[in-house]
Amino acid sequence: MPNLLTILILLPVAGALVLVLYSFVSSRREEHYRWLALIATVATFAVSLLLLRGAGVSGAEFRFEENVSWIGAIGARYHLAVDGASLWLVLLTTLLMPIAILSSWTSIRKRQLSYYAFLLILEAAMIGVFVSLDLLLFYLFFEASLIPMFFLIGIWGGERRIYAAVKFFIYTAVGSLLMLVGIIAIYFIYRSFDYPTLLQAMTASPLTPRAEYWLFLAFALAFFIKVPLFPFHTWLPDAHTEAPTAGSVILAGVLLKLGTYGLLRFNLALFPNASRNWAPVIITLAIIGIIYGALVAMVQPDVKRLVAYSSVSHMGFVVLGLFSFTELGMQGALYQMLNHGVSTGALFLFVGFIYERRHTRMISEFGGLAKPMPWFSTLFVIASLSSIGLPFLNGFVGEFLILIGMWTSTAVSWSWIATMLATTGVIWAAVYMLWMLQRVVFGPVTNDENARLSDLNNRETVLLLPLLFLMLFMGVYPRVFLDRSRASVETIRARVNASPAGGSYTTAVRQD
Amino acid sequence: MSSFFAQSMMPIISWSLIAPEVIICIAAVVVMLVDAFARPTQRWISGGISMAGLIIAAIATVFLWANGTASSDAFNGMIVLDELRLGFTLIFLLVAGLTLLISTVWVHGEQLPAGEFHSLLLFATVGMMFMASGNDLVIIFLGLEILSIATYVMAGFRRTDVRSNESSLKYFILGSFSSAFLLYGIALVYGATSIAEPGPDGSFSRIVAGTTNIAEIASRIGQAQYPALLYAGAAMMLVGFGFKIATAPFHIWTPDVYEGAPTPVTAFMAAGPKAAGFASFIRVFVFGLPFVVSASGAVNGNLHQAWVNTLVVMAVLTMTLGNVVAIVQNNVKRMLAYSSIAHAGYALVGFVAAGAATDPTQRNNAITAVVFYLLTYAVMNIGAFAVVQVIARSGDRRTAIEDYRGIGFESPVLAFSLSLFMLSLLGMPLTAGFMGKIMVFGAAIDQKYYGLVIVGVLNSAVSAYYYLRLIIVMFFGERTMAWSAPRIPASVALALVITVLGVLYLGIFPGRVINGLQTKIDSQIFTEDFSRKGAKDAK
Repeated sequence: MPNLLTILILLPVAGALVLVLYSFVSSRREEHYRWLALIATVATFAVSLLLLRGAGVSGAEFRFEENVSWIGAIGARYHLAVDGASLWLVLLTTLLMPIAILSSWTSIRKRQLSYYAFLLILEAAMIGVFVSLDLLLFYLFFEASLIPMFFLIGIWGGERRIYAAVKFFIYTAVGSLLMLVGIIAIYFIYRSFDYPTLLQAMTASPLTPRAEYWLFLAFALAFFIKVPLFPFHTWLPDAHTEAPTAGSVILAGVLLKLGTYGLLRFNLALFPNASRNWAPVIITLAIIGIIYGALVAMVQPDVKRLVAYSSVSHMGFVVLGLFSFTELGMQGALYQMLNHGVSTGALFLFVGFIYERRHTRMISEFGGLAKPMPWFSTLFVIASLSSIGLPFLNGFVGEFLILIGMWTSTAVSWSWIATMLATTGVIWAAVYMLWMLQRVVFGPVTNDENARLSDLNNRETVLLLPLLFLMLFMGVYPRVFLDRSRASVETIRARVNASPAGGSYTTAVRQD
Repeated sequence: MSSFFAQSMMPIISWSLIAPEVIICIAAVVVMLVDAFARPTQRWISGGISMAGLIIAAIATVFLWANGTASSDAFNGMIVLDELRLGFTLIFLLVAGLTLLISTVWVHGEQLPAGEFHSLLLFATVGMMFMASGNDLVIIFLGLEILSIATYVMAGFRRTDVRSNESSLKYFILGSFSSAFLLYGIALVYGATSIAEPGPDGSFSRIVAGTTNIAEIASRIGQAQYPALLYAGAAMMLVGFGFKIATAPFHIWTPDVYEGAPTPVTAFMAAGPKAAGFASFIRVFVFGLPFVVSASGAVNGNLHQAWVNTLVVMAVLTMTLGNVVAIVQNNVKRMLAYSSIAHAGYALVGFVAAGAATDPTQRNNAITAVVFYLLTYAVMNIGAFAVVQVIARSGDRRTAIEDYRGIGFESPVLAFSLSLFMLSLLGMPLTAGFMGKIMVFGAAIDQKYYGLVIVGVLNSAVSAYYYLRLIIVMFFGERTMAWSAPRIPASVALALVITVLGVLYLGIFPGRVINGLQTKIDSQIFTEDFSRKGAKDAK
């Protein structure tokens, strides 16, 4: 199918346009907007499944490539493609969107037209980020994803939504503006924005160490804020907590991955020497993030804030894996990105469900939910265990790969210490999650209001099923995913480890 | 009679080269005449004539562009035909046309004399066009004065409103002051560029009078008799132009004048005269005071370096001051005034790149960037003021940011358009402002001004705060007072459609426009070669 990726980007935009046009129909009804949005996102998901026919099947090559001139005067190109590294992230995006829309079904009552239109535009921007191979185009989508999210938090968010929205916007914008300077600087060094062209040009004539140092920092800052890596994480708890449920799901599920994906695709591949030089610092920050996020999560009185801080911890694992420069670590990092999208996305949905019923998220308000809501509680426990990383569930695979990768890593000489410290993150995760479960789900019903809560309805069950299925499936049969991404990740790893200017680093472990 | 003409010294006059200016002049005169005789019910005619004049002038400009003749100047080199001029001319015509659209209903609603307003607008446009087309300091000064006097009157057009009077008077006094600076600078440069010419026996015998022709100045600064006068003259002109384009520290007039002037006039002033100021600023400094290696090389290298460095400082000051002070404004027009100061700073970044470039291609790219930037700024800025004008209603009563609280979903068309313009001014992707910033920052990075660009992008981040504030107030806040959505008049609606589509078009598919400006400005090298050749010959 030619132009498949363009179709993928334009389908949600077309959906948003249909929504706007429908608003001019005189016999319109508010509840039709969500149906239209659902149809658009399901269609996008269905189309995105076609990517499975090509991407990552054979080697690291880019598939479904589209490459035409966009702005001739400055050499920017409309260059789209997917490979094993971006395939699953695109699918994660298109899968989470219908779920996000279903989760808003009854909770969003005001301004439905704008709400669903913003969600659809957000989807287009996120897909665009994952499939762009032109730096300027990538930046364009990267920044464009900010605007709909800003509105989603600001209009449909909680009480402190304005503060959260502005903080979210300004934090991310500052980081990415410096990346823009970096992108333009690269353009004036190599006269190209095109990723494959740049990779070749950089192999032929590497950057000077000084230029590479600064460019790495310019890109890394944008992505670190997005991830968010400690200490750039302070926007995250506010944004996650104040966003509407669907916003939190998308924010945690996809938007954070824009950062780690950017690190993998651009920082590691374009600036291999600087990546190796900075690895000790970044690994340290990742470990601090893992432990700090977990400890802070533990003491949160608000379930949503707890899940938000757990994201800081989980994303620390992803960064750790990426900067281990081992096959297992980097594959694990990519896998953990998907896991986090699935598990944390699901957790935010659960939080949304109880918030819709009780209009509070305070842990102290709950207790003994297992009695009135058995289905809810069962599934909530499964999702929490997946987030903790229990074997047979997806979280285990990702974290285990990352930890093995780190153990065998030669990126730092103290990799065993790093691994041991990071491993405590898994224990802390068990502590804060199980403690939260104990106080929310188990025990006697302490608050009378909780006794009459209704269990999951059909819609809520249906939207959870795909995620729960994935938790199990990804936990027992990760090969499906890892096989597709291996070649692409390996190509990037090869660049880091054997970059033109360096080469002193060797691979520690080869696993086949 | 004809023999008399043949014998007298006839300068080369090519009337066709100033066709656009002549057309606008005629239109302005016709508007005045028609207005004098038309019945009050037929006042709309003057608007129609003005629009027709602008469109015909635009066609003439495009025609000139397409059929660029070999002789690139007219009136003995006082008028230049190059793509820097034509690009700016089209911007001015666009600005005037959009201003006409958004002012029509305002003029009627406020019971103001439409004919006078329209003819003033046209005369201001002529002034701007001469500022871009003048290749001679005298023409540039004439253009500047035609423009200024028209805008002084326009700023005070709401005669019964004290704020409007204050705006006009402030603009007039400070504007005259800056014109005087410019004129003094011109006089000093004229004096400094008198050179000694070798006599018949080879000795330096004859002193040639100075010049105001820009190409001539460029060719003579290598052997200027009085370098100190050149410095002083350049500094004076810098002040004069700096005032017109509202750069720090010559920006003090801007907020008061922009706030007090009627909103359509503010829209015009922020987009048009600023661009015109840049047009002649670029021509005088980049082409008139280039980097010249000469016999007394050091002096002129220093002069070039001095003004480029001054502009760097001015750019940093302007961006920072504009953005930081805009944060604390509570009036939309004042906020947009400071934003316009900040945007002059961004454009200066591209100007610095044009000045610092020693390679003609790089210099042309940088000039293209500035022209493109001013085009994007004109479109998004007039769009923003169009919305502000509708929301402010008659007499500019509702211009406080609080007046926008919660109107987001009450009048979604206005609110979403204004949000788009704010995001564009902020420089978010998919909008014109983003591409404009890419262009000017790119040009500066090409010249290795990394620090300047980093200051620029950090300023963009700062500006997010106040641009978003308007969006926040409109969409995230709840309406506290009763609010009825204002009706959008058809002409303003048309202006909004043009500006919204323009912002998106320039933001997503800027290639054609950039290419158009790019290839055209390339032939400017001719003038450049001429000046450089002149310098070499003189050596």
